[in-house]
Amino acid sequence: MSVSNLLENWSDFRHTHPVDDVPHNPYKWAMSIDLDACSGCNACSVACYAENNLPVVGKDKYAHGYAMHWMRIERYWDEDGRDFPDQGAQFLPMMCQQCEAAPCETVCPVGATNHTPDGINSQIYNRCIGSRYCEANCPYKVRYFNWYDYPTTDNVWPAEMNQQLNPDVTVRGKGVMEKCTFCIQRVTVAKNNAKNEGRLVHDGEVWTACQQACPTGAITFGNLVDPESKVHKQWQAQQVELAKDAQTKDKEEGGSELRGYRIFEELRPYPSVMYLERVRESAV
Amino acid sequence: MQRFLRLSVLLLGLFAAASSYAADAPPPALTTEDDLGPAIEQPIEFPHFRHAGDADKGGMQINCMYCHTYARRSLVAGIPPIQKCIGCHQSIESVRETPRIKKLFEYWDAKKAIPWKKVHDLPDYVRFSHERHIKRFIFQLNRPVQEVCGYCHGNVKEMTVARRSKLLSMGWCVSCHQQDHPVTDEGGTPIGNQAYWYSMHKPPVDASGIIKAKGPNDCSVCHK
Amino acid sequence: MMNSGSVKHLAGHPFDRRDFLKVLGWGGAAVALSGCGNGSVEDGKETVVSYVETNDYMIPSISVYFNSTCAQCDAGCSITGRIREGRVLKLEGNPNSAINRGKTCGLGQAGVQHHYNPDRVREPLLRNGDQGEAITWEKAYALIAEKLNGVSGEEIAFLTGGVSGHLKVLLGNYLDSFGSKNHFVYEAVGPAVLRAANKKSYGVEMPRFNINKAKVVLSFGADFLGAWISPVHFSQQYAQFRKGVDGQRGVLVQIESKMTLTGANADRWLVVRPGTEGILALGIINALGTATGDIAAAVKGYDKARVSKDTGVSAEQIDKIVALLKERTPSLVLAGSAAEGYAHGSQNAAAINLLNQVLGNVGKTVEAAAVVPFPQMAPATGNTFALKTLNDGLNAGKYKVLFSYAANPVFTAPGAMKFKDNLAKAGFKVAFTHYLDETAMQADLVLPLDSALEDWGTQVPEYMAEGAQINIQQPLMEKLHANTRGMGDILLALIKLRRADDYKKYDDYYAYLRAAVLQNKGALGGGVADDDTFWNETLSKGIIKLASAAHALSGKAGAAGLSLPAPSAIDAQYPLQLIPSVNASLRDGRNTNQPWLQESPDPLTTIVWDSWVEIHPRKAAELGIVEGDIVEVTGKNGSIKVQAYLFPGIHPDAISIPLGRGHEALGRYAKGYGVNPFQILDMVFDKETGELALHETRVKVSKTGSRVIVVKDEGPAGGSQMGKKIAARLPSDKVKLSEEVYYVG
Repeated sequence: MSVSNLLENWSDFRHTHPVDDVPHNPYKWAMSIDLDACSGCNACSVACYAENNLPVVGKDKYAHGYAMHWMRIERYWDEDGRDFPDQGAQFLPMMCQQCEAAPCETVCPVGATNHTPDGINSQIYNRCIGSRYCEANCPYKVRYFNWYDYPTTDNVWPAEMNQQLNPDVTVRGKGVMEKCTFCIQRVTVAKNNAKNEGRLVHDGEVWTACQQACPTGAITFGNLVDPESKVHKQWQAQQVELAKDAQTKDKEEGGSELRGYRIFEELRPYPSVMYLERVRESAV
Repeated sequence: MQRFLRLSVLLLGLFAAASSYAADAPPPALTTEDDLGPAIEQPIEFPHFRHAGDADKGGMQINCMYCHTYARRSLVAGIPPIQKCIGCHQSIESVRETPRIKKLFEYWDAKKAIPWKKVHDLPDYVRFSHERHIKRFIFQLNRPVQEVCGYCHGNVKEMTVARRSKLLSMGWCVSCHQQDHPVTDEGGTPIGNQAYWYSMHKPPVDASGIIKAKGPNDCSVCHK
Repeated sequence: MMNSGSVKHLAGHPFDRRDFLKVLGWGGAAVALSGCGNGSVEDGKETVVSYVETNDYMIPSISVYFNSTCAQCDAGCSITGRIREGRVLKLEGNPNSAINRGKTCGLGQAGVQHHYNPDRVREPLLRNGDQGEAITWEKAYALIAEKLNGVSGEEIAFLTGGVSGHLKVLLGNYLDSFGSKNHFVYEAVGPAVLRAANKKSYGVEMPRFNINKAKVVLSFGADFLGAWISPVHFSQQYAQFRKGVDGQRGVLVQIESKMTLTGANADRWLVVRPGTEGILALGIINALGTATGDIAAAVKGYDKARVSKDTGVSAEQIDKIVALLKERTPSLVLAGSAAEGYAHGSQNAAAINLLNQVLGNVGKTVEAAAVVPFPQMAPATGNTFALKTLNDGLNAGKYKVLFSYAANPVFTAPGAMKFKDNLAKAGFKVAFTHYLDETAMQADLVLPLDSALEDWGTQVPEYMAEGAQINIQQPLMEKLHANTRGMGDILLALIKLRRADDYKKYDDYYAYLRAAVLQNKGALGGGVADDDTFWNETLSKGIIKLASAAHALSGKAGAAGLSLPAPSAIDAQYPLQLIPSVNASLRDGRNTNQPWLQESPDPLTTIVWDSWVEIHPRKAAELGIVEGDIVEVTGKNGSIKVQAYLFPGIHPDAISIPLGRGHEALGRYAKGYGVNPFQILDMVFDKETGELALHETRVKVSKTGSRVIVVKDEGPAGGSQMGKKIAARLPSDKVKLSEEVYYVG
């Protein structure tokens, strides 16, 4: 691929996406996470380790910030200067937001991370050269770099443990960037089954690992362009639109009574994850 | 200025890519489509020509998928379980005492799996689906089985022990996926009632309403 | 050997279902390294193995699913294992179980790491000095028989964790064969005080708590989203509760001295002086003003001023709670482990349960639970009193042979109990174990167990969610190690040495289990199905659901005998109360060798791979402690050194150290990480039940002068959002939940 070819494709991509004349068809995978249901229990995160062959880096490397948790729970406290956090803590499951105009995609020098037609920000491990530009450019800090060769020299999966590895997901070696993929391996299987039967993927046919584990059912995942999907209905009810960088409802005077919002929307990455604000009882 | 920056980032990246490639092991020897993979010694010298070959050449014209039964429903074509071989061979007395069949029964009696060597190996980060290709070419386009299998596996029906005869590199795969294939009938009905892929670009529609599209060309379709 | 319904016969070779679970060749199939070039292409080098014989449903690269039961804790969640090429890859919840409805917690997810753990014991080991020498099972059984020879029933003790189902039956029969009654069931952090208090208050030990039907939940330290009783079940109820009954969102008020995960999710988290939970409960009853008779008399002295002074909860806050409870019914009051960990723990729990009675919740949000109609299979629930009794017996040299299974008291007993020393006085110690844990290290004979994903069994959960159910445990794959055995198989082999005639018809525990289930086919809902069909269906479902009557609740306990001590004065020498906290993933430490759990951050502090002591920032400032200071926590029974973490969710007169870490054995992922607060607990017991009062330890904290960087997930900004809208929150009067589209996921 020549440089001019690359440039052409690249500017084409920036130019045409996201725009209306190339709609996501038939799929646009998206998520919504209800923070009022999320209890911060970490089940999603562990499920992600199990599904996606995430290495356990150990204490020393964790201390250096090398943790590989594609799904992490962020914990925030109120900043009102009170002695006790009497409204509890705020938990936020944070993973790749699968941005429609992903800041990571445009800076990858080799096109290892790019947009799939169904709206997932894919990561092609064997193409990645480890420049880490994408990580630097990600406002959510959800890209994780393999600083070590976890499968071999670090022996993260010693004998027997390696038998648990999911064969549908590549085990990443040193020098490769990785991140949440919306469990693309599960999506692929569902799309394959649907194709065999000459239909589209039904709502509820694909579950991400985090969604499947979540004890409070806080996570909804599905096809945003399917008007029957739960995720579509939720986005619609919350009046959150994928292609907007500021939602109309937020301009209401006195604030909206709807809970849906996207993190860092103002940076215009057009994330595919909608969060629903946590609610706290005003009577107590 | 911004354009310059973008360009320089790109060039830098390319340079990095090139140098990291050069630092890797010696580049693979140049191969052409005619180059065969290595000859592989198998625990039993399985005569594909005898089973799948044409009748006039002494073959029995058995359908590939009679033995490689998983191909139409799974990612992998699979090696048949020994019980499959025995299923026929227990009643074929004529070859019962030949060395290969004796070996086969030795494995069966010992309930030991035969340690076949892999002939067509793909990198572990590649997801190749036999099922998809077979569904498409055999069941939807009604092409002959041996022809379809032969796209990637060559003329196995004339081989004894199978040997790789296609490159199976990414460029080789893409050479097919990049071609325009009809994905709908006249009038735009998808062939096989399948949704088709058109990635970022809507495919052109010809006068009769047939839509032609490239094969799936999205990285994440094949790279897991 | 059985022939399951879908099994085919070929050339006279019947299949054993377990054969299908054989591991297929998987060489390079999973471990792929990326990078340039085709480094992992190895034509003609890798072996591709196929089954010798197989059946239709095993297709390479396509997963099959088998149902079983999670054994990571005793809640009894049903799981579905994803199996590919004979390997179990992932566990999901079984949607048909009323307990977890398809969901799992992080602990459950890590179940595969118990199975594949590299530190599992693989051979029977016989002590030879300080070494373990591998021996055969025949020799091990012969040795046990020899050691039991001439030993009376009273001289044999069997220590276990919570057991239920047919394993419990078999174990009981084994002990009967000696005439021994010495079955000690020990749980280090079980809800033993609650069981006793519930029995008094409601007539049953474990009623059903309908969080989803309550409009207000007032929880006194019950960490039902974290580690309390059946957290996955309660988490689902909680999600419904938040969506509300009739669109009215449920309100959670959590009262405790150290914030738990549940506390972090409360609408209002109230910090209470340690041990005064019962006083607050009585104060609320008093302020409600609806109690009559002896209850009114009992709470008479608990006026707001006094209660507020004793507990540290403001009168205004009590008013708000009372108003909320009056306005929104039904409510639900929960007494959790934090309220029970005191010498007056039973009294605290009784006072809290009384609040449910006064509010009229009994029969509405506290309901009778369904009961499995086979009392012999009902769970033998554990407590710490059993351990104390065993310890006293060991100290007196009563036991010649001690068996231990699914308990690790050398790690979890308070150091002052000197359990390890007393254990040495037992003549011959046999440990049935998966790992060489601290207790197994002291054993004379270590017998390696199959993992929970390799073994057969039945389990009856203590907390029944809806109808009664018996959970089936079955192998999800072939055994990893040839020389491990299932606990049931071992017990069967041992009991055959005693009562050969009764048990000779059972080849193995599987045969016993199958026969035992089929014997009661009618009662288990088998109807007229033939044996094979019923059995295969049972295995396929992984659950036996039973129609059963529930024990009625009494709910009229009244206030008789209720007396709560005044809050204890601060001890000048040991001014701080130590709260050993039970973390959702590590619990009592039995699962610490699963690296996903070690690396899964504690939800509240985000700390990984280590222990910490939580200190309120105000107290820390007083003591001159900053984050990362290594402090020495000293009590009457020793001291431990641990890193400090400043934590706003704790009473300033208390500190908290999580349990589960500080192993000296167990395995590579557990040994040497963190400290074990069990070691410094004071020997204070609940006055009524004799349970160890976990929260009664007084300590002081002093700086050692060294400091470390705390390894945690939270960034340099700590818990601050830096003015950005990241994790957002709305007050309930600013949101219209009833108009939302909501799905229970």
